This record gives sequence, C-alpha cells and structure tokens, in this order.
Amino acid sequence: MRWLGRLFEAGVYVTGITVSLVVLVMFYYVAREARYAFGDTFAWGFRLALLPADSSDDMSPGSAPYTTLVTVNAEGSDGLDEHEEIVPAPSVSSVEGEMMLTTAATLVSDITDIRADRLYRDEWRALKTTQQGDQFLVLGYATPRYQQKTMVLAWEPDSGFDPTLSPYRLVLRLVRAPHGVDVQPFDIDLKRQPSGRITLPAWVARTDAERSNGYVFEIQATPHRSAFWATLRGIFSTEWAPTLMYPRYGVLPLLIATTLMSVLAMLFATPLAVATALYLSEIAQPRLREWLKPALELIASVPSVVLGYFGLMFVAPSLQNWLGQALGMESGRNLLTTSVMLAVLAIPIVASVTEDVLKTVPESLRESAMALGLTRGEMLWKVLLPAARSGIMAAVLIGAARVYGETMIVWILSGGTASMPSLSSLQDVSRVLVGSTRGVPDTIAIEMGNVAFESVHYGHLFLLGVFLFAATVLVNLTALYIGRKQVWRV
Amino acid sequence: MESVGETVFIPARTGRRVRRQIIDRVLVLALTALAFASVATVLGIIGFIILKGLPAISLSFLTSPPREGMSAGGIYPMIRGSVLLMLGTLVLVLPLGVLGGVFLAEYAGRSTLSRLLHASIASLAGTPSVIFGLFGLAVFVLMMNMGVSLLAGCLTLALFTLPAVVFTTENAIRSVPESFIEAGLALGLSRWQLMWKVVLPNALPGILTGIVLSTGRAAGEAPPILLTAGIYYATGDLPRGWDILKQPVANLPYHLAEGYRQGGVIPEAIVWGTCLTLMLFVLLINMWAIIVRTRVRRKQAW
Repeated sequence: MRWLGRLFEAGVYVTGITVSLVVLVMFYYVAREARYAFGDTFAWGFRLALLPADSSDDMSPGSAPYTTLVTVNAEGSDGLDEHEEIVPAPSVSSVEGEMMLTTAATLVSDITDIRADRLYRDEWRALKTTQQGDQFLVLGYATPRYQQKTMVLAWEPDSGFDPTLSPYRLVLRLVRAPHGVDVQPFDIDLKRQPSGRITLPAWVARTDAERSNGYVFEIQATPHRSAFWATLRGIFSTEWAPTLMYPRYGVLPLLIATTLMSVLAMLFATPLAVATALYLSEIAQPRLREWLKPALELIASVPSVVLGYFGLMFVAPSLQNWLGQALGMESGRNLLTTSVMLAVLAIPIVASVTEDVLKTVPESLRESAMALGLTRGEMLWKVLLPAARSGIMAAVLIGAARVYGETMIVWILSGGTASMPSLSSLQDVSRVLVGSTRGVPDTIAIEMGNVAFESVHYGHLFLLGVFLFAATVLVNLTALYIGRKQVWRV
Repeated sequence: MESVGETVFIPARTGRRVRRQIIDRVLVLALTALAFASVATVLGIIGFIILKGLPAISLSFLTSPPREGMSAGGIYPMIRGSVLLMLGTLVLVLPLGVLGGVFLAEYAGRSTLSRLLHASIASLAGTPSVIFGLFGLAVFVLMMNMGVSLLAGCLTLALFTLPAVVFTTENAIRSVPESFIEAGLALGLSRWQLMWKVVLPNALPGILTGIVLSTGRAAGEAPPILLTAGIYYATGDLPRGWDILKQPVANLPYHLAEGYRQGGVIPEAIVWGTCLTLMLFVLLINMWAIIVRTRVRRKQAW
C-alpha cells in the first residue's frame, strides 16, 4: 500500500506543476508560430508610363493607356519563362489615339539581351527573398506620329503598394539613352519620391525592330533594411488587408477596435452588474437570493454563439429601427450593437464575482455603520462600496478580459470591416460607433479558416494571438493583484 | 468647540432625516430595479430563443441528419459530435484537473511559489478561448500530426476547462472541515491515506459538479473547435469505432459559426432550432450540476 501512496503523491506533484506551467507552454507555442510572420519575402510593384509633354498633371501612369506594370508578388509567375500569359507590347503601327508613346517590359535583366520581338506590356515575377532583391528593365519610345520635342516619364507605386514599408532600397534610373540623344542620367530614390515625372528629349522608334534601341530604364530593389524590421513596421501600421496583392498586416485598427468595444461594453455592464450584486448580497431576501444566484450562474453559461445570433436577429434590427435615422446607421451590425451584446455577456460574470467580493466584507463594518445611524443606502454608498472598491475593480477587470477575448459575438455582429477608427471630432466618434468594425479574436477565427498553414498570413494571425494573449494575461494578473488588497485589513 | 456640538445635532433635525430617508428609499429602489432589469434582460434572451427555436424542434429534427446541402433535415450528427466532444473532454480533464486541484489545496502550501502557481492558473482561466484554438492548431493538429480531428478538439477543450476544474477541486477540498482532517490524523493516517479516504470522498460531489459545469461551458464554445475539430458538411454516414477519434466531427457551436460564415444557406428556422438545442444542451447540464451542488451543500451543512 505504501508504494501506491508514493505513486499518488508523485502524480499529484507532477500534475500540479505541469498544470501550473500550461500557460507558459501555450504562450511559447503561440509565440513560436508567430515566427512565420517574419518571412523574408515582400511584394512590390511600380507603374511606368511615357506621357506627352503637354499632358495635364492629373494624368497618371495608372490612367495612361500604354503603361507598364512591373511587379513582384505572390501571384506572379516568373515572367522570364511564362510569357505566354503576358500581353505583347503594341507594335509601332498599332498605337492609336492621342497617346503615341509607350513603354515595354523586356523580361530580361541584361541590357545586351533585349530583343525587339520579345517585348511585353507588363512583367510579373514570383516573390524572391529580400536578400536577392530584383531588377526590371523597361524600354521607352515614341511612335512616328509623335511630333513634340520632349516627352515625360511618369511613375507611381502600383495601387496598394506602399514603398515606405518595404525593406528594399528602390531606385529608378536611366541605364541607357538612345543613340544620339543627349540627356543627363538620373537616379531616383523611389522611397523618397514614390511617384513623380521627369522630362526627357523625345525619341521615336520608326519600325518595330527599332524599338529595342530606345530609352532603357531600370527599377531595382536591393536589400536595405532587415526583413525583420520591415515586418515589425508593417505590424504597427494602420491597415489590415492580408489578402491584397500587396498584403498589409497592420494590427492597430484591430487592436483599437477591440479595445474600444470592450471599454464601451464595460461602461454599459458595470453599473448594472454592480447594482445586481449589491441587490443580491445586501437587499434581497435570503430565499430570493438562493434562487437568483444560481440563475445568474446559469445565465453566464449561455453559449456566446447563441448570444451572437440573438444580437443579429433581434438587437441589430431593433437598434436600426430606433436609432438608425438619428445616428445615420447603415446596418445593425456595428460597434454599438457589438458592445451591447458584449455587455450582456459581461453582466452575469461581473455581478457574480462582485457578489462574492461583497460577501467577504466583514459584517462588523455593516454593523458599525448602522450603529452610527446611517441609513441602509448610506451604508451601501459610503461604507460598503469604498470597502469593496478594489475587489469590484478586480471583478470589472475579469469581465473586461472575458469581453476582450470574446470571438463569436464580435464575429457575428461587428460587420467585419477593418478600418482605423478616427476619433478627432464628435461626428467621427458617432460614425465609428455606428460603423462596421472588426476585432482581434474574430479576425483570428475567421481568417484561420482560409489561410495556408505556415504562410506569412498564418504567422500574423498567431502574432495577433500573442497580442491578445498578452493583453488578457496582463488584465487578469492586474485583477488578481488589486483584488488581493482589502481595505479593511489595513 | 461649539461647532462640533452643532454637527452632532444636525442629523436629528427632522427635515434632514426625512430627506435622508427618501434618498435611501430611492437608492434601494433603484438598485432593485437595475438588478431586476439585468436579470430580466438575460432571462428575456433565453425566453426569446426558446420561443423562436421551439417550433423547429421535433423528434425527427433531433434524430435525423441534415439534407440538401444543410438546407433541410435535422441536426443529429451535430448533437452526437457535441456529446462526443464533451465526453472526451471530461475523460481527459478529470485526472489532470483533480490532481492539480489536490496539489494546490494540500501540497503547494502558502508560499510565494504557490501564489505564483495560483497566478499562473488564474491567467490560464482568463485566456480567451480562441487562443486555445490557436494552440491546439499549432501543437495538436500540425505539430503532432493529429489533423483536424475529434482527438485534437478534445485535447484543446480539456486545456480550456483545466483551470476551472483545478480551482473548483481546490475549493471543494478546502471546504472539507478541519475537524475531519484532525480526526483522521488522530487515527494515525498518513497524508495520502487522509487524502484518499477522508478528503477526496467528502469533496467528491463538489469536484464532480464543478467538472460538469466547466465542460458544459466548453461544449458551447465555438472558437477552439473551429480551429481544431470542426467539419461543416455532415451526413448520416458517420465514422464508427476508434476511427472516430481521427476524424473531424460536426458539432453544434461549429455548425452555427460555420453556418454564419457560409451566409444564409441554413434556413432561419433550423438556425433557431440549433441555437435552442445548443443552449438547452449547456443549460440543462449546468442546471443539473447546480441542483446537485445545492442539495449536497444542504446535506453537508457541517
């Protein structure tokens, strides 16, 4: 029998210590998976176009008909091999309309390899590591009908691409001027000047074969900043759009939205929950309390998916009907509705913990207050609440942590648009309140369903998890710390 | 010192006393109203869902599989999946949680270390369920190669319920009266004999209801299952035998979450029926546990 006892005790120690370490193990693995966020490939792309010298300033490479897009992204095949899919550059005779200038991608990186019969409109390449960088050569020429003496080279980042977030040094330079054209070579830092225009002497290609003799521009990306810092900068930017061609992984809008809805929910829930707890512990008859306390616990266990559906089918349309006109609500699924349902989730939790706290306040405090001739209301307000203050704050924090990590209610009710909330004026605030939003936990749950495992996007979802985990652990530990301080023990 | 005497007598002035009493009444009334408002809100939600869901529920709804791409038929596979998940969780969390609770209550002492262990488990208790899903996905599904499966889901949910089970066990053990333990010691029992023969049997009802309560809550949580065990298209053709553990499993919260993602495929009546089934599933388990606990507490009024 003694060995059985030893075994039991050994089991107790091993399990006890294991259980206590679970939270650390979990944090370690969630943080470890976040390493995939720091992959070292970054998409980038620019549009180049030649424009007539007399074109207006609002004509951009994006709107010019014969513009060339050079890009490196996840969808790009390596343009050097698979050019069947790529549109050939227009021949000299086929260029029509007022735009008699074109640019063409060469699909080669060596200037001596440029061939007139292998020119294309755009060039898409597959991602390479930041250490390799990449480089494009682009031809530029005018067609015979072009009469002006000069022409303008214009460039801009491809839509959705922000050069400042990229880890490369990005340079646009003139590598070769056509024979007989006298022009100053240029070398432009595309990070400082992401878009712009520069005037060049016009050069005309008379035949298709002559096209390869035109201006040759180069856009080059060379490793500059470490991929790690570039990722980090991306994380603390203000846009979350992971499925774009140039994905953005800025977590700030999600974190701010989650914080905003939690704070709002706790503002709604705290007075109701504390009042409920005060009533239960100080005012209700014991028989009623015996029923209400379990009822409260029961209510706290309604699954949050169900609360979410209730919000969707009942609260959202009702709020839309009452306040839709007044606040300019476009849909019932918005930050306000989400906060209301989160408050419903929080009330039983906060009330239940607060009631436990009130129960621990010594009877002697109540009795002395009554003996001093205070009314019951004065006793509650001036003695009990101050005495239980830190415990109540802890209860509110526990509720806040629960609300902060709530997934399903936010998923169903928030509307799902990730945008940076602006709170600079009262109008903005009301727009944010009734606007569609998106939080951290729901983003993880929704997007993990369609993500390639161990991709950069997958890593960023785990990174969001790390932020969420850290925030809730911090709030919980704060609750634990301040909950332990009890005023009457001083 | 005259002013001191004055302040003592001011409360005795009748006008003030009446005003104080009015304020008192108003405050008590307001608290009562607020308390009833919050209880009524949540009871109202439960009532609303019962009203909406009841028409959809019938015996065939609960016992037949979905048909026509989830747009008709019943939800039997989801109910079965939820029950399986809950049972698996129960089996896994029972030894871990109880031994952990015994450790905290009897062996960890009251040192700084034990306070740290407490804080660590409390942090786990407050961790959002979606984090458990992430961990389950990274470790059980991918690293241990279990794939999206019932086993991975049960393991994830077991971790999710672990802190609650540890704490309820600890409380149940601590609430065993000191006199029982002293009596045991006086009879010359060793520490583990005391544990095994005196403390655990007396704490057992509290421990069991605690476990049932927390697994009940876990059965209603969607995010951990979403990432580790769920499957949307369930048919009547269900896996049997041990194979069950390796297959993904349809279940109620996942059905609701994924149904929302798919957007309007599931008719509203079936959604409400599923909501009600899930809510009753969780509430009935909890109600049973709460009733047992109250009864036991009354019987054990030491």
